[in-house]
Amino acid sequence: MKKIVLSFSLLLISLLAIGCSKGTDSNVTGNSGVSGDRVKIVVTSWRTEDIDRMDRINAEFTKKYPNIEIDFQPVKDTEYDAQLKQSLAAGVGADVIFLRSYDSGYQVYKTKSLMNLSEMLPTLKTFPSSALAAWATPEGVSYGIPSAGVVHGVYYRKSIFKKYNLDIPKTWDDFISVAETLQKNGETVFAQGTKDNWMLYEVMYAGLGANFYGGEVARQKLLRKEARMTDPNFVIALEKMKELQKYFPKGFQAVDYVTMQQMFGTGAAAMFMGGSWEIGIFEDLGGLDDVGYFAPPVAKAGDKLQYCFHVDAGIAANVNTQYPNEVKIYMEWLASPEYAQLYMNELPGFFSYTPGSYTLNNELAKQMQSYISDSVPTVRTVWEGLSAQDPSGNALVGEAIQLMYADTLTIPEAAEYIDDGLSWFYK
Amino acid sequence: MLIANKKHWKFLFIFIFPAFAVYTLFMLLPILNSMRYSLFSGDGLALNEFVGLDNYIKLFTEERYYSKFWNAFGNNIQFFIIVTLIQNILGFFMAVLLTRTFKGSRFMRKISFLPTTLSVLVVGFIFKLILQPYPGVFDSVLKAIGLGKFILPWLGDPNSALVIVAVAVSWQFFGESVMFYASGIDGIDDSIIEAAKIDGATIWHEIFYIILPSVLPIVSIVTILIFIGDFTQFDIIYAMTSTKGDPGYSTDIFGSLFYRTTFSSAERGGWGTGMGATVATMMFIVVAIGVAGFLAFFNRRKEALN
Repeated sequence: MKKIVLSFSLLLISLLAIGCSKGTDSNVTGNSGVSGDRVKIVVTSWRTEDIDRMDRINAEFTKKYPNIEIDFQPVKDTEYDAQLKQSLAAGVGADVIFLRSYDSGYQVYKTKSLMNLSEMLPTLKTFPSSALAAWATPEGVSYGIPSAGVVHGVYYRKSIFKKYNLDIPKTWDDFISVAETLQKNGETVFAQGTKDNWMLYEVMYAGLGANFYGGEVARQKLLRKEARMTDPNFVIALEKMKELQKYFPKGFQAVDYVTMQQMFGTGAAAMFMGGSWEIGIFEDLGGLDDVGYFAPPVAKAGDKLQYCFHVDAGIAANVNTQYPNEVKIYMEWLASPEYAQLYMNELPGFFSYTPGSYTLNNELAKQMQSYISDSVPTVRTVWEGLSAQDPSGNALVGEAIQLMYADTLTIPEAAEYIDDGLSWFYK
Repeated sequence: MLIANKKHWKFLFIFIFPAFAVYTLFMLLPILNSMRYSLFSGDGLALNEFVGLDNYIKLFTEERYYSKFWNAFGNNIQFFIIVTLIQNILGFFMAVLLTRTFKGSRFMRKISFLPTTLSVLVVGFIFKLILQPYPGVFDSVLKAIGLGKFILPWLGDPNSALVIVAVAVSWQFFGESVMFYASGIDGIDDSIIEAAKIDGATIWHEIFYIILPSVLPIVSIVTILIFIGDFTQFDIIYAMTSTKGDPGYSTDIFGSLFYRTTFSSAERGGWGTGMGATVATMMFIVVAIGVAGFLAFFNRRKEALN
């Protein structure tokens, strides 16, 4: 027995010794190089695909402030919210946090884990108020820098359009006739599937449907509970989505998001209804020169485009950070035009809200941006307010359209399905 | 039954304590803590607002909660039935086949266990890739053998998705039930079967009057293992149809329901940690009742046979 105790304690001691020596090791490397205290700020986000690009952006910051090192540690998109929630509760969260807009971010703020940025960053006052509101309390306290917005529209293959002498459609009728021509000629019209239903809502309904349900005005009415998803304008948008079904590829019910990207990215389909964040993906798949983009077609010629310019990412600071001063310096830089310019060029398709004049180096991003000036900007239909609880408007619209495409629900039933699910909102 | 006396207690302590300590620390305490959480409400993970049984009342009276809960429960039962049919019944007959001696039977026995050694996630992703319509590996096989008209959007159709997922799980753990049954059949005394054969018993007589009664305890073990496995299954759903149980919650089972409701934010189907813990506790109760029920059922069968 004594022997066992002895060997156990030996083991423990040796483990402790290893632990200590490791600790001192890292201290040494931490202080080496630059004189003074070099600190490391950990940044987290849900975009694991951005590591290289974000590292390049942050390297510019470290050039300016050599004693602050930025460590970008993203977490897989679908696990991000759970991981963030747990790490903040355990007190080991990142110093700087990418935050989703509206209720999702607000729930994090309510756990008292985020700094008040209205005091820290006076420059926020110059940001567009609609973007600020996406990361602020109802009282107007900002907890996130509005960092990036995304737009939704239609990508197309230039070579396929050229082959049949097709012009970029401006109205819905043009759009349908383009699809008709392509289908007649045996092309796969849309690289679209319905397996991942968030696409059906975020990109299709909120992006292409906005021109039919009345865009921002209609959305505001929903928020004020003056309109419901069963109203004729919202149902018409559903009907328009259903019109596209016959141009979907065979077995579209089983086609998931990644397959859609592969289909379009490799040139196997003529069009893809997607979001601006996909530029990078198509770039990686090669042949970006052949990819064009047009904004959601309007209902009839002369209509003003209702452009879904969605508030995607805000940046918040952890209230429990060890380095509040350094975080403040970094946050100030994140709210500066310098960062905005770097960010937009590294991540084409993400548009910064920071006031300033910028030059975009990506052709597709330029095209996407070109529509903004002559449009009414809006955000995703039921993202704000109507997605604060489960079943969220977000999930409901996606599910309803998915079931509508599967012929499980008729169009009016799909509208009912959403409205029923939202009963908690109207209570 | 061994009765502990003063001489034994030291040994009993030494044998039981380590396992019990580990079990308490990593199973019992977390389960109890999770049950405690089900009585609380609040934002984030650390809950502070005591609400008593409110979460349970909400779960069973508010449509948005109970519709999902009962949907997952129903799906889970279907899932369990399909898996049981394949693993138990086909597995049993497969084991009978493999315990006959023929050329390659030993090899077949070994190879049938191979899928079980894979990770569930790997199996899930492979099945998903094979079943995808583009490039359509499985669909082109069907076309090649002239069954092209039976092609479905397998995982995209609410009517077929759950069956497909259940088949994938069964495929993976098929070898496990075969192994259980085969070892049971191996344990039957050869002389009994020989005697029966001399009396003119056919293969069916042999199966129903000799093999089945002898392996009944194994049937109960396998069924209970499948039951527990299926009612706490999560990985395969995660890999094949996402934690939302696509399409339209048709493959949502307890495992995915619990994960989604507890850890997701509200716009992705989260109910908050307190409600999530409530779902977990209900899962625990359902599994406990189910296991108790199966044990009682099989014990009675066994007594009837004796």
